[in-house]
Formats: sequence, C-alpha cells, structure tokens
Amino acid sequence: MAPDLTLVTTAVALPFVAAAVSPLLYRVLGERTGYAGAVVATASFGLLATGVDDYGTVGVSWVPALDVGIQFTVDGWGLLFALLASGIGALVFVYSTSYMHGEEGLARYYAALLAFMGSILGVALASDLVFLFLFWELTSLCSFVLIGHHTEDAESRYSARMAMVVTVGGGLCLLAALLMLAAAARGALGGVTFDLTAMIANSGAMRAALRESGLFLPALGLIVVAAAAKSAQVPLHFWLPNAMVAPTPVSAFLHSATMVKVGVYLLGRVRPLLMSPEWVLIVATLGLVTMTVGALLAVASTDTKELLAYSTASHLGLMVAGFGFDIGYGAEAGAFHLLNHALFKAPLFLVAGIVVHEAGTRNLNNLGGLWRELPVTAAVTVVAALSMAGIPPFNGFYSKELLFEAAYEVAHEAGGLAWLYPAVATLASVLTVVYSLTFLALFFGERRAPAADVHRPPVTLIGPPAVLAVAAVVVSVAPQLAVDAIVQGAVDATATGEAQLAVGLPTHLSPPVAMSGVAVVGGVAAYPLRGRLATGVRRGVDAPVPVRPSGWYDWVVSTTTATSARFGSAVHNGLLRRYVGWTAAAGSLLALAGFAATGAPAPGALGGTGVTLAVAVVLGVATLAGVAVAAAASHVSGVLTLSILGFMLAIFFILASAPDLALTQLVIETLILLMFLLVLQRLPSFYSEIRPLSIARDASVSLLVGATAFVAVLLTIPDPDADPTSVATYYTEQAVPGGGGTNVVNVILVDFRAFDTLGELLVVTVAAIAILVLVTMRTRGEASEAASDGESIPDGGDSP
Amino acid sequence: MTTTIMRTTARVTVPVVLVVAISLFLQGHNLPGGGFIGGVLTAAAFVLIYVAYDLDYLESGVLGREVEHGTSVFEQRTVTAYRRILLAGLVVVLASGFGGMLIGDPFLTQGYVHLEGVPIYREVELASALLFDLGVYLVVVGSVLTIVSVVSAE
Repeated sequence: MAPDLTLVTTAVALPFVAAAVSPLLYRVLGERTGYAGAVVATASFGLLATGVDDYGTVGVSWVPALDVGIQFTVDGWGLLFALLASGIGALVFVYSTSYMHGEEGLARYYAALLAFMGSILGVALASDLVFLFLFWELTSLCSFVLIGHHTEDAESRYSARMAMVVTVGGGLCLLAALLMLAAAARGALGGVTFDLTAMIANSGAMRAALRESGLFLPALGLIVVAAAAKSAQVPLHFWLPNAMVAPTPVSAFLHSATMVKVGVYLLGRVRPLLMSPEWVLIVATLGLVTMTVGALLAVASTDTKELLAYSTASHLGLMVAGFGFDIGYGAEAGAFHLLNHALFKAPLFLVAGIVVHEAGTRNLNNLGGLWRELPVTAAVTVVAALSMAGIPPFNGFYSKELLFEAAYEVAHEAGGLAWLYPAVATLASVLTVVYSLTFLALFFGERRAPAADVHRPPVTLIGPPAVLAVAAVVVSVAPQLAVDAIVQGAVDATATGEAQLAVGLPTHLSPPVAMSGVAVVGGVAAYPLRGRLATGVRRGVDAPVPVRPSGWYDWVVSTTTATSARFGSAVHNGLLRRYVGWTAAAGSLLALAGFAATGAPAPGALGGTGVTLAVAVVLGVATLAGVAVAAAASHVSGVLTLSILGFMLAIFFILASAPDLALTQLVIETLILLMFLLVLQRLPSFYSEIRPLSIARDASVSLLVGATAFVAVLLTIPDPDADPTSVATYYTEQAVPGGGGTNVVNVILVDFRAFDTLGELLVVTVAAIAILVLVTMRTRGEASEAASDGESIPDGGDSP
Repeated sequence: MTTTIMRTTARVTVPVVLVVAISLFLQGHNLPGGGFIGGVLTAAAFVLIYVAYDLDYLESGVLGREVEHGTSVFEQRTVTAYRRILLAGLVVVLASGFGGMLIGDPFLTQGYVHLEGVPIYREVELASALLFDLGVYLVVVGSVLTIVSVVSAE
C-alpha cells in the first residue's frame, strides 16, 4: 500500500501555508506566533509519524512534457530526516518565543523559519529531481533570510551573502548534475525522466549509461560539490562558522540539525545510484578530511557557537565518510549518526544560546563553573557533550563505532594507503573528545566571570534542549529501539546491499573497539595540552600561504565587484545611444557566434533570378533613402527620408503578396511620422559637430548589425521552391475549419497562437508603464536626489 | 504645425481614418486587417488631432469640457481615459481567455458560430476571436496614446 498523497502533501504544504499567513498571525498573536509555529511543526510531525503506515512513491504529474512530477517517496531515510526536521522544528519554535523576546522583525523570522521547515520536509520527501532541486534552493533562500536576520548589521549581511553564494552555487552544480542524470535516463530508462526513485531502482543501467556517455565522473563530482557546499565540507566549510551570526535557534535548527544535513541526505540518497570505486575515493576522503579539519578548528575556537559550528562540520564529515565507504557499516554509520548528531548537537546549540542569554558572553575563556547557577542546563550539556565525544554508552558512541568498523573493514580489505582511513578517523575522534571536554568546561571547574547576574532560564528555554537530551538518553540506553523504529528503514534506503543494523555495547575487544579506546584515552590525555594545540592550529590558519578558503571567497567577491563596477561605467554611462550601441553590437555578435557554433549550412548561391523589375526599383529607392537618412543634415530631412525607406518597404510587402504586413508597415510608418512631427519642435534643428571617431564606431556597429541581419535572413529563409513546412500547411488548412477565418495571419494571431499574442500585449503594456514611470521618475528622481545628496553611498556590506 | 491647412485636412481625414480603422479591425478575421492594425490606425488618427491642434483640444474642443490646467499630465482626464482603455483591453483579453475555460476548454481556446438569416447581412459569422482581437485593439490604442500624450506633454 502506498502512502496517502494528500497526507504527505498536507504535511509538506502546511508550513508553507503557515509561513504565508504568519504576518497576519503575528499581528494577532504577537510574540506568541512561535507557539503557532510549534503547533504547525507538531502537526506535520504527527501526520508523518502516525499517518504514514507504508513506504512507497506517490505523485501527480506537473510538467508532463518533461516528465516532471510532484512526486514524493516515503522511505525510512526520507522519513527519518522529515521527522527530525519537524520534531526539532517544534522545539525550536518554543525556544524562539523566549529567546527572540523583544526582537525586531519577528514576523519575517517566523515566516522564514516556517518556510524553511516546509522546504526541508520537501527535500526529504520529494523524489522528483526537479522538485527536489526546488526545495533544495528554497532552503538556501530561507537560510539567507535567517542568517541576515539583523539586517542593519554589516557582519550579518556579509555572512548571509556568503552562505547564499556558497550554497546556491552548490545548488547550481546540483542542477547541472540532475540534468546529466536525466540525460542518462534517456538511455537507461527509455525516456527523459527526473524520477530519482526509478533511477535508483535501475542503478546498474544508470551507471552503465552514465559511463558510456562519459558523464559519470562529472555527475558524481557535481553532486559531491553540491553536497559539500550545503554540508560545509572542506574547502567549502567556511560559511558555516560565519553563519553563526544568526540567532541561536536558527543555528540550532538550520546549521546543525537540518539544513547542513541536506547535503549528507543527498549523498545518502544517491549512494546506491553512484556507488563505485571513484565514489569511495572522493566521498570517504572528503568526509574524513572534513572530520579532521573541522575538529582541529573546533579545538582552536574561543567562541561557544564557533566551536559548535566547526564541530558540526566535523560531524557532517563523519556522516559523509560513512556514506563514502562501500560497505554496510558505512550506510549504518551515516544514517544512525544523522539521528544522533541531531539529538546531541541541537541541544548543545540551544545550551549555548541559554549561556549567552543568561551569562551574556560567548567567549569560552570567560566562562566556567556555571553548573551552580544552571544545574539543569549542565545536566543536559553532560549528556549531549559526552554523546558528541563518542563516550560509551552515549548514543554518539554507537554511530562513531560503526564508522570505525567501516573504515577498518575497508582498510583491511584494500590495504596499503587505505589504512589512512582508520588512522585519520581515530585522530579526528581524539580531537572531538578534546573539544567536547572544552565545551563541557563551561559548566565545571572554577568560575571565570562574575556570576552574580546569571539567573535561571525560563522553562521555554531549557525545555527544548532537555527534551532532546532525554531523547538522546533513550537512544543511548536502548539503541535497538531507535533502530527498529526508523533507522533500519533509513539504512535499507541508503545501503547498496543487505545491511542489518545491530548496535550495542561491545562485548569483546576488536580493532574498532580499540580505536574507540584510543580516541577516548587520547582525547582525555590531550585535553590539558589543548592550549598549545590551539596555538598551533591558529598559527597554521594565519600562515602567509593562502590556506584560508574564506580568503579566496573574499578575493573572488571583491574582484568581481570591482570588475563589474569598472565594466558598468563603460556600458552604463547614461547615454541612450551608448546603450543602443552595446545592445545592438552584443546581440549581433551573439547571433553570429550562435550561427558559427551550430555550424549553420553555408547559404546557397545567390541567384538574381525571380526579382522583378518593380521589386528591384522599390528596393533601390529604399537603399537610396537609407543612404540619405545617414547623410541628412537636419532632423526634418532625416525623418522624411526615413519615411521613404519605410513606405518603400511597405510597397515591397505588397509586391511580395503580404497584405497584412504591408498594412501594418504603412500604418506604423504613418504613426511614426506623425509622432516625429509632434516632437520635432523640441529637437535641435541641426546636428552638432560629430567627432570622426564616433562616426567610425557608429558606422562599424551599423555594418555589423546589417551584416548579421543579412546573414540571418540568408540562413533562415526556406528555399523558395521547397514545399511549405508541416506547420505552415497545418495553419493554412485549418484556418477556415479550425479558426473560422480566411485571413490566416489573423487566425494565427488571435486563435492558434493567441498565447503569444497575449505575451506581446503584456510587453506593450509594460512598455507603456515603463515610459510612464520614466517620465514620472525623471522629475521625482531629481527632487529626491537633491534631498539625499549628503548621505554617503553604502557599500552594501561587502567588507566584513 | 497648427496651420489652417493642417487643421482643415485633419478635420476631413480624421473621421475617414477612424472609419477605416474600425472596418480594418472588424474584417480582420477574413481579410487583411485585425486588432493590431486597427488599433495603430486609430491611434494615428488621434495623433493627427494632436499635431493639428494641441493636447487639450480633445477635451475642450470635442467634448466641450473645461480643461483643468496646472495639473500634471498624469491626472488629465484624457490620459486617465487612455490608461483605462489599456486596462480594459487587458481585461477583455484575459476574460476571453478564461471564458473558454468555463466550458471546459483550455485557456484561450477560441470558437465561432455561423448565424444564418440575419437581416441585410444574410449570413454572419461570430467568432470569439473577435473579442480577443477587441482586447488587442484596446491595448494598442490605450498604450500608444498613453505614451504619445505623456511624452509629447513633456
């Protein structure tokens, strides 16, 4: 039995509807809008948790011509992600009501948060690639709005833009990759389709088709880049710590629990489709490198949220690495850690929010011994931080152990350099223990700041992380419960073969268990040395060699901005004739390049036959008139000679038996002449002196445009002796029976292709409105310019 | 341009031009013509009036109303009327498009009926496309005249 389409659609659409009405809700409810958001999230959670009793694919057609559908696939992997998003979403909404108390722009905040939750549900459940891409980009968009919540803060704007550029840039890679997959589906599945479920079901044929067309590596690379950008993998990890300028609930929800996992989710989703030796090499290496680099940077952090951000990147690396290994344990590690990471990282972020809310600082050096003031928070942190460190029996241990097993098995099988996998994984885990203890030190040890003004957080602040910590404890105590409920389903969807997930505490010493032991002992032993470690990492980051990817980002952005500013003043200098020149020249060059690129056939011989004397005379007069326009000494003579040219063309149309064209040309020509007469008095009667250089430039542009038109006509006109095309025949035959008119041109305009005409009418309307606005703004613009003369031009927040 | 010769010519030609424009519009479905051509020709007739007389002549001379001076060109009644014509045209076009949907056809489907035994004409064809064409006509007239009057008033 397939899941109910209405139910799934409702669960995904509900947050969007709520987002649309949230400005109204905010007007009614004020700051309590957060509770309404929590209700919506709970409703989606409930619908998905209780209503979906079976896995399967449902959908309706959307763009049938391209086989794009509104299609949802419910399986363990998608459902796990969707339940996490809606469940944590509900808690974050409750938390936001307290945390965001008294902030500006809450209507926008809640709308974006709701829309974001809907997008995540869409990503998790959509199985049509186009549909998936749509939601994927929507998450980036919502993240942009939420990171830039403090719109007046330059750093906030800078970070929001950085996250947008990186993640949307990654999204474009995804778009290219999904087009490649669709192209490969043509051969493998017998038709262009964007149906990911069908592709995965026929993964062997898809891989063969991709390899045959040479698109396997490009598609794999683009998908990995897209996922890496979204999931903050090295070297695209730099946007994540910057995104921490967002309000803490946003960091907990988007930048630890859900949005950054979208990339991991995609990798897990396409893992069965693209599994290959290249996949293992690229994805597993990327994951382990990120895991280590993220952990190193987390150790060097001095800010609570920065530490958590780098730690998030590191744990995302763990999941990516898990999915990278071509072994059952790999999928188990990735899928199970997705759940565990959400259960321990989201509460840690929320705890960081409580600490900054109550103690007023995020600096790790100024915080310590807070357990006396915040005992419940401290208890939550102990569970979450030990889980993050992977200390048994906490839940983070199980999934990390699975990764060790995967790395060990792969290394054992491949040997040689593959032994680096378990070694690097262990090293990263040692560092993980170090920074987990660092975070835990917020609450233990000596007080490092005056604690007099630290007070207990309200229940809406401490409740959500406590709920998550309780969930983490449940998974820690009875991991098999979580596995049976959902994780096994997720593993089934992401594994390439059979994988029966069995978790539990180790009963005997095996190499992976030894790796865990090394990690814990090594981490505890290295903890006292963390100061030296942090100094070393910082020295490495500040090295003169450009190793910082954010530096590269800044360089690219500033260079682009500077170049376009220079380019802009050359093209966009306010002179209408300059615009016309650029547009005409660029259009002509593009058209010619297009003809050259497509290898248009050389035109046939130019025969002078078939041109009657009348046509020759008319065209001759038109040419003379054209020359006379260019040589005219005054506007009056120019306008009149231009009209001669136009009327000659009309006569030519009559001779070529195109009465409709001729009529249109005549009428338009008349109208233009009349309009010129109307404005003639305002124009200078004679042209000013023109420099020879500009004459040469204008002449060359004119020649180029003329040549393009000439070439285009030569290449596009059909052979006069050839039969009319099928379209032409259809129109001619169907005009009377189908359209009820004998004027084929008119029937085409108003009946067969009425939609085109509608579009043209909109263009005419837009032109009229544009001219109205231009004329209005000209006077208004001068007035406001004078008013705002003193203000400096903002730089748009490009520099941090 | 407001010479006596010009004015006299305009007096004679404008009605002729308008009649020709309307006939072009009406016969468009079967003979050369149509909403676009008819619309442009109608606009040309109005522009001819503008050239021969001036912008206020339509209001003061033809309609016999007082012209409110001192208001900006956008608030003049003629310009407002042109804008309304433009809007009405868009509404007619969209309505003719959605009309077909009411009886289950796709957007912008056109149909026609032949009426027999009508006095004088004996046989008349009524095409829904004419309604669409009317929208085209109105949009063209409205937009061209809006542009011309606003630009020339500058």
